[in-house]
Amino acid sequence: MAEATTLRTAPLDRARVLQWLQTYGVYAGVAALLVVNVVITPNFLTAENFRTQAVQVAPVIIVALGMALVIGTEGVDLSVGAVMALAASVTALYLGYGLLPALLAVALFAAAVGLANGALVALVGVQPIVATLALMVGGRGIALVLLPQLEDLRNPALASLGSGDVLGVPYLILIAAVLALLVAFTVRRTTFGRQLLAIGDSRPAAQLAGLPVRRVLIIVYVVCALLAAVAGVLATARLQASDPTSLGNLMELSAITAVVVGGTPLTGGRVNIAGTVAGAVLIQLLTATLIKHDLPPSWTQIAQAVVIVAAVYAARGRGRR
Amino acid sequence: MAPPAEVLAVRGLSKTFPGVRALDDVDLTLHAGEVHALIGENGAGKSTLIKLLTGVYRPDAGEITFQGAEVSFATPLEAQKAGISTIYQEVNLIPLLSVARNLFLGREPRNRFGVLDIARMNSEAEEVLRGYGVRVDVRRPLRTLGVGAQQMVALARAVATDARIVIMDEPTSSLEPREVETLFSVIRGLRDAGIAVVYVSHRLDELYAVCSTVTVLRDGRRVHHGSLAELGRLDLVSTMLGRDLGEVRAEGLTKFSGDHQATDSEPVLEAHELTVPHRLHGVSVSIRPGEVVGLGGLLGSGRTETAKAISGALPVRSGRVTVAGVPLRGGSAAAAIRAGVSLLPEDRKSEGIVPGLSVRENIALAVLPRLSRFGLVSEARVDSVVDTFVTRLRIKASSPHQKVGELSGGNQQKVLLARWLAMNPKVLLLDEPTRGIDVGAKAEVQKLVDELAADGLGVLLISSDLEELIEGSDRVVVLKDGAVVGELTGDDVTEDKLMRTIAGDTAATAPAAEEVAGDG
Amino acid sequence: MQRTTHRPRLLARPGLVALAAAVALTASACAKSEDDASKDTKSPAAAGAEQKVVTPKPGSKSCTVDAYGGEKLDLKGATVGFSQSEKEANPFRIAETQSIKDEAKKRGVKLLTANAQSQFSKQISDVQDLLAKGADLLVIAPLNSDGWDPVLQAAAAKKVPIVTIDRKINATACKDYVSFIASDFVEQGRRAADQMIEATGGKGEVAILLGAAGNNVTTERTKGFKERVAEKAPDLKVVFEQTGDFAREKGQQVTEQLIQSKPGIKGIYAENDEMGLGAVAALKGAGKKAGDIKIVTVDGTRNAVQGIVDGWISGVIESNPRFGPLAFQTLDTFTKGEAVPQDIIIQDGAYSTDNAKSEIGKAY
Repeated sequence: MAEATTLRTAPLDRARVLQWLQTYGVYAGVAALLVVNVVITPNFLTAENFRTQAVQVAPVIIVALGMALVIGTEGVDLSVGAVMALAASVTALYLGYGLLPALLAVALFAAAVGLANGALVALVGVQPIVATLALMVGGRGIALVLLPQLEDLRNPALASLGSGDVLGVPYLILIAAVLALLVAFTVRRTTFGRQLLAIGDSRPAAQLAGLPVRRVLIIVYVVCALLAAVAGVLATARLQASDPTSLGNLMELSAITAVVVGGTPLTGGRVNIAGTVAGAVLIQLLTATLIKHDLPPSWTQIAQAVVIVAAVYAARGRGRR
Repeated sequence: MAPPAEVLAVRGLSKTFPGVRALDDVDLTLHAGEVHALIGENGAGKSTLIKLLTGVYRPDAGEITFQGAEVSFATPLEAQKAGISTIYQEVNLIPLLSVARNLFLGREPRNRFGVLDIARMNSEAEEVLRGYGVRVDVRRPLRTLGVGAQQMVALARAVATDARIVIMDEPTSSLEPREVETLFSVIRGLRDAGIAVVYVSHRLDELYAVCSTVTVLRDGRRVHHGSLAELGRLDLVSTMLGRDLGEVRAEGLTKFSGDHQATDSEPVLEAHELTVPHRLHGVSVSIRPGEVVGLGGLLGSGRTETAKAISGALPVRSGRVTVAGVPLRGGSAAAAIRAGVSLLPEDRKSEGIVPGLSVRENIALAVLPRLSRFGLVSEARVDSVVDTFVTRLRIKASSPHQKVGELSGGNQQKVLLARWLAMNPKVLLLDEPTRGIDVGAKAEVQKLVDELAADGLGVLLISSDLEELIEGSDRVVVLKDGAVVGELTGDDVTEDKLMRTIAGDTAATAPAAEEVAGDG
Repeated sequence: MQRTTHRPRLLARPGLVALAAAVALTASACAKSEDDASKDTKSPAAAGAEQKVVTPKPGSKSCTVDAYGGEKLDLKGATVGFSQSEKEANPFRIAETQSIKDEAKKRGVKLLTANAQSQFSKQISDVQDLLAKGADLLVIAPLNSDGWDPVLQAAAAKKVPIVTIDRKINATACKDYVSFIASDFVEQGRRAADQMIEATGGKGEVAILLGAAGNNVTTERTKGFKERVAEKAPDLKVVFEQTGDFAREKGQQVTEQLIQSKPGIKGIYAENDEMGLGAVAALKGAGKKAGDIKIVTVDGTRNAVQGIVDGWISGVIESNPRFGPLAFQTLDTFTKGEAVPQDIIIQDGAYSTDNAKSEIGKAY
């Protein structure tokens, strides 16, 4: 066994640092940003501020949860932003029947997109990045066909979903938290979760072990699309307007960033839900910090890039072991 | 006559990894023109020693003197440039590049404009490879070659870089006998050219065929060194294992007990006329409960494909498989597993284990749905299954939560066996179950196969190790070019008969002159 | 060691497209948006389409058929090709296309239309198609300013006059094209500043919600606003400039951050209506009252003007999308042989608390 264990170590200290960064770096980053902001940002330490940050990050977290599952299978889903747009337009389209029927319609549409993604990946064997690219373009197209332009929504139930709260905690945050716990539980405690990780780690081995590879993959893409749809509905509810043109733009990148920064490797086989949530929060705080201090928007992008590079570097250190 | 020059001298080399003393005060001396066998069980420190010599790791203590000067290589590339070439067990070339490009990687011939001279490169590559018995279109991507041919390309590449020392880590594990012969003649050529060769292998025949000297490692220490010819086989094995000579002799060279209860009951598995385009042409095999059926044949004869077709991993064009009389839906591994057919795949690393998951998860992988309720895993039941098999198969891991990718080959194989035994199968298809695992683990696996057959399982055994195949099987079905060419039963199950059947009953004259190429 | 079997991939695509189309059809068949019952008819974009005065840009040269090298013709009975750049998915584009169509109908001109869906290569082939289909005159809303050479050559060969609207082509006026008709974005910024100064009393801190980065509309609207503020109200300080990407959600998010870190902010200048409406949503969400923070926006969409009526928005500078009358008038004058200006500025309206209620019908 010596030979196997050996591989873990090259230069010991650096490897340890990288390992630590990979596991806890994202939390350290969040903590550091919090401290910095408390010191330099006026009015940062207020309930409203934290509420704002949480409400803004909630949709990103929800999308990132689904993305983490897909990435866990060594895939990627580029269509999440388009699904958010689709959810927005379908919500507007069916809101006349009431909120619940509209949500049902949204779920159907999202499931259809997820099913198409999953079928392309699992049955036809198309690379995930290509398969979901098709629906990234096509999904927003359908959204715009259904609802060519922004439409204001006045449904009171939808409005309260977007801005209501329980004991001061907005629904958005509660929903994101419940979904995060649910997904984390699924990954850790269910047959499905274990099978997902095995498939992501070694698909041929999973196949030969008799796992329902196709079924698991399809379900993962459907779940990812459903989560994106939830995020789309929540964002729409918050805006009180359905904006299929710009809702969810670049959301796929935010979600992938959150997942990767949170320590889930793109190579599959591992899913870190707590890290993913922290990753989304990290990016949110970073953006908020730069906006609050009125730094040029390009800085935000550069700062995000730096965080991603750091995360990938830490991940690489681990991968080489 | 002056003794040949000392090329390499290693003194007091030590290396420690967290919790493991991988190498402890090891010496090694190599002379020009020496073929040196480096042996030991997995975990004895062979790979660590090689990696220290080639700059993959840095030693904690000790010194390496290469051609009279103390060296410390920072990278494998440095070592290679200095003249130490290594051929690893897994071919580490670039699958998508052409054969010729791989051969000349990093030292491509260029014309006077500094542009890659492809025509020259291709013609030179063809010529070089012909010397290794490989005749292929060198413009094709490397991955289209069989593993054996790829290994030859790796070897040719290593030798061509003006090496003073060539280290071969299990070079024959994927080679056919004819290829092994070619390899040996190449090694003898190297020897005559004054190059030192370090030869790592688990195959004793090979060691005695080409090596002059030997170093035996055990638990990170050197336990023997000297002339190989002066060390008998059994002595060698007992030194390696650190066991009593008597014990080893009593157990024979394999752990197989010989024949099993030849039952007359109905076959538990019947494969009828399996046909896969270009691979199998109507292969039929039947296995009775308690029987170990060997599948013999050369590399590329269709052994692996037969096992995969039976297990549903390879879709068949025609033919059928019945398990205990019930027809199996083809093309579905899951269906085969449900019916009680389990495959231990040849390519353990990429098709068997799930390297990033723990020992526990790997063992429970297939049986998980049975240990779950409403999709929720019962951790207690998983623990009990895992405990049972870790104990029963003596799986050595620091804990059930250790990643399988970190285990030795033998333990990985045991984990896979545990995965299937947990499913309580009727038939086990074992494709090279002992390849690349150390002698101790090999013996344990062999013994286990015996026990399983005794318990009434049907076993299909594929092995390139003739000894293993002969001693382990009650019956051997011989394949050639995707078709059954013979079957050995009873007293006919001997190495000699097997070779004759493989060679087409004319074994006495010459081995079949097959090309090493293509889809081997 | 990839063992996936690759079945024909092409199969997947047409299937997908068909699926998408089917989905779109069935979805709209039984849809029921909340407006369906209540709303009468969304008044067409052209409702407020009154004739706008031509304002030749000061110092602008003029162009005639003779100078251009074309032939006179009667606009009535001619075929006009219109190439739209972006999908009609926002009020501006919808109103723009509608205005061209309405004017063509009014004048009895045969109109061919094409939409490039934001793909420049499509726009080039669109225009070539229009030429091939026999367009005698072209109106182009260009997606990009550069890369028009092939089209211009093809048009020149057929001696087809071109008028570009809302964005300019980098080419020689009166040689490669006849005239360019657009709003003056810098002027829009200046007028927005005037509104802001009036609303805030010229004192305090204000924020700018910038448009998409690297867009000339963003740069010019910012430039005009800052110039005018510096010149007329030095006590009004721009303390915050962040992009809202011209999108409502982004405007909402940025405004949420803004009002928390700078609670004393007095005004927000949004460089389009959508971001301004996002700002309104943010203020509502934060429990602010209408008028607490003054918002001035640019574009003149119905929603924004309604915002003035409701008291959330102080002023809206119009960016007039109704190029139809002006474009056809220019073509008419030109083809009759008279001179037309090379650069024409369309006159933009403005909405404030004084006229929002009465003129909301004009908003698009």
